[in-house]
Amino acid sequence: MEDTVLIKLSIIYLAIVSMCMLPAQSNDAVFPFPVHQSVLDNGLTVISIPFDSPGIIAYYTVVRTGSRNEVEEGLSGFAHFFEHMMFRGTEQYSAEEYNEVLKRLGADHNAFTTDDWTGYHIVASADALEEVVKIESDRFMNLKYSVEDFKTEAGAILGEYNMNAANPLRQMFERIREMAFTEHTYGHTTLGYLEDIKDMPNQFDYSLTFFDRYYRPEYCTIIVAGDVQHDRLTQLAQKYYSGWEPGTWTVDIPEEPPQTEEKRSHMTWGSATLPHLMIGYRVPEFDETNIDLPALNIIGQLLFARNAPLFQKLVVDEQLVDFVSGGYTDRRDPYLFTIMSRIKNIDNMGRVEQEIYDAIEDLKNNQIAPARLDEIKSFLRYSFAMSLNTASSVARTVSQFIQLTGDFNTVNKLFDLYDSVTPEDVQRVARKYFTPATRSVVTLAQEEIQQ
Amino acid sequence: MKTRMIITGLLICIFSFFMIAHEHLKFTELHLEDNPLVAFRILVHAGAINDPEGKEGLNALTAMTIANGGTGDLTFRDIQEILYPWAASISVNFDKEVTVFTGNVHRDHLDEFYTIFSGLLLDPRFDESDFRRNKTNLLNYLRNTLRGTNDEELGKWSLQLFMYEDHPYGNVDAGTVQGLEAITLEDVKNHYKNMYTRENVHIGIAGGYNNALIDKMGQDFASLPGGKPEQLVLPQPKPIEDIEVLIVEKPNRATAISLGFPIDVTRTDKDFYPLMVANSFFGEHRTFNGVLMIELRGLRGLNYGTYSYIENFIQDGGSTLMLPNVPRRQQYFSIWIRPVEHATNHFSLRLALYELENLVENGLTQEEFEATRDYMINFSKLWTQTLSRRLGYMMDSAWYGTDYFIDKIEEELMKLTVEDVNRAIKTHLQTGNMKVAAVTANAQEFKEALLNNTPSPISYSANVDESVTAKDAIVKDYQLTINPDRVLIVPVQEMFEE
Repeated sequence: MEDTVLIKLSIIYLAIVSMCMLPAQSNDAVFPFPVHQSVLDNGLTVISIPFDSPGIIAYYTVVRTGSRNEVEEGLSGFAHFFEHMMFRGTEQYSAEEYNEVLKRLGADHNAFTTDDWTGYHIVASADALEEVVKIESDRFMNLKYSVEDFKTEAGAILGEYNMNAANPLRQMFERIREMAFTEHTYGHTTLGYLEDIKDMPNQFDYSLTFFDRYYRPEYCTIIVAGDVQHDRLTQLAQKYYSGWEPGTWTVDIPEEPPQTEEKRSHMTWGSATLPHLMIGYRVPEFDETNIDLPALNIIGQLLFARNAPLFQKLVVDEQLVDFVSGGYTDRRDPYLFTIMSRIKNIDNMGRVEQEIYDAIEDLKNNQIAPARLDEIKSFLRYSFAMSLNTASSVARTVSQFIQLTGDFNTVNKLFDLYDSVTPEDVQRVARKYFTPATRSVVTLAQEEIQQ
Repeated sequence: MKTRMIITGLLICIFSFFMIAHEHLKFTELHLEDNPLVAFRILVHAGAINDPEGKEGLNALTAMTIANGGTGDLTFRDIQEILYPWAASISVNFDKEVTVFTGNVHRDHLDEFYTIFSGLLLDPRFDESDFRRNKTNLLNYLRNTLRGTNDEELGKWSLQLFMYEDHPYGNVDAGTVQGLEAITLEDVKNHYKNMYTRENVHIGIAGGYNNALIDKMGQDFASLPGGKPEQLVLPQPKPIEDIEVLIVEKPNRATAISLGFPIDVTRTDKDFYPLMVANSFFGEHRTFNGVLMIELRGLRGLNYGTYSYIENFIQDGGSTLMLPNVPRRQQYFSIWIRPVEHATNHFSLRLALYELENLVENGLTQEEFEATRDYMINFSKLWTQTLSRRLGYMMDSAWYGTDYFIDKIEEELMKLTVEDVNRAIKTHLQTGNMKVAAVTANAQEFKEALLNNTPSPISYSANVDESVTAKDAIVKDYQLTINPDRVLIVPVQEMFEE
């Protein structure tokens, strides 16, 4: 026993600092690591990314299912709930035994759920690869829990809701999504509505259906970054995952009709808070060929980077707000370009909102200088490259693009698209998407305000 | 064993790791020739304990005004313009005893970045507008974020204030509302002049820099004034009598609870390491390894998580890891019960303390000890995967005057026996005297329930295991020895005021 421990330790010990590389030329691939991919007969995709983290691997399982898939009424938050249930054991490994295996390995492990996908991740020593494949494949194929465990876990979900309940931004997100999406499932947050969370203990049967629909090889991808050999990974995947039966479920996500008029709502807050402002503009779904998306991201930088004129005016010069931020985030279906701010004095709420609109109008009316555009492209490349500094961050980055399109090459295609964005694109995109009719606005304060 | 020796040998080739003294300056270097990133950490031996009475928040405001300010001819705005295309970052973190400025940059822009980063520390502009902005931000943090929108942090800070009454650790690091309001720009400049001296800073750098930069840093930082401010002598925290409770009253939908007591153990003490094993077994942060997590969440679904700590623990961003460079000469044991429904707050507190008593009475078995020791040895190797984190741990080791902490964990844990762990538990942990901070809407009701030891039965929507209901039957009546004179209810708007 002790020898095994020592060897694992020694190997891990080497993995202290990993490297990120920045392409020398702007036309080099922005993601600098080789990516190997295999697909098993059952449709399960297996990806490895060798990365300089000697002795360490990051093992991600991407499930292309999130709160977006929660199409049934009264079942919001279920993808997230199910993420919790994935830790409740199988016949081969009870929840305790599963945890004991990872504890013995000294692994760092967890999971998360988003609108579009669910991610399960383990960082462990590279020589534990087979053990990790074994326990992960087992729970994805053979999850089994009692109705009692199911109901108990529902309490933990309520606890998660409770721990976020004091945060006004959480409540504002709930409100703005509900307003902006009347049909599409982006209308609810990943955590779900409180009434649905309270009803979760009664949904045991649906949980079995959910597992049967989505925890199937065609919805999942295994991504391993770090000290890993692809042949070995594929061999292990074949050994442990090949008995996983594909499913047949496809989901029809309701389309959101176009928004034709501005929507507004005010929330009064029961305890001390500064006033908050949240604005969402409807924007399109992720598409690696749509230049509007990189342009939207660039607009986010033009408005809210720490050197942006709007940021400088509101935060530094006039000090009307203690933060203002915003931007576009990739989603599989049309979502929102979201802007948030906390205002120091409620009397300035209207003024701040108008300043934001004025800055947007400026982008519509005046083309940005090419040098400014180059700076933003430089920022995006450096920040992306500098973020790839651990096996886990590399695996997570690939996971993000896999969940969007199923293709890891998306990352390099996307950055090529960024390179081609022009000042004209930025102006055109500002005019196209930032209109009063496609915007939703939520304000929050201790006080009522005049709308 | 052979493998281990070979790899240790490799390590020596890969890293050059220096702790040197240069013109009274303390340096820690981690040179990795091929790494394109460079991480800086400049640690100043100044913290909230150095805030003068009536000017609480001075250290924080000084640090913020430096890091979010200008230098020489460059205003804060100019600096943002310059750093932006490189995606370089400068930030600051302040705690009780130290303040650390961190910088991260790709080596493509290292020289220009260093000029700005060092300039902020050596020649800060202290513009009035930067001072005003940062002061307002700190005030808003106290008045709005802590009081209004983050009950978990509110609970944790309330515990620290309550636990360290009349002690230099007894304030939020950001200060107090009245303290901050009393601080002038002149105070900030004086604090900088007094505390940012050659012998009072520790310079850390890691990554793919060249050695000429070290010489330059030595010359540049030698321009700081000489001298080392006298280190404040810390008194012992006030003794705690029975269980003392601070209830922070505010409208909310769930009760946040933190509890703990000072312990006379830090990383410099032999007993820190057996306690580390005990604590991991009892309440490892955000894992299902801990007894508390299993009992409160796993078996009963009372909340999202419950954990324990043997030193001040600040989570590093969204990770599960501890932030480096928050060292303290005095530490405390604590339990963090994340928000529970008001109806179960009394039961949850009882259960946590019942389990603590069980730990103190019975300790760990041989099997539990071995599994937890091995876990900690392996898991701790994952704490230093980035340049900045490794550098931070190296500097913390220097602060405590120990060998490199991650190595020391392995060295000490490999020598431990289960008897060592159980003896350390009995020596340092107990259930009789502690402070509890709770943030809740039902303050009076909670107070009366605590004082009367009112039974707190619990029910579930599911049929839970008989072992759970059997334990619940004991826990619902578990007697807490509450100090009747020390159950305080404080309206939230009075917290952090002075």
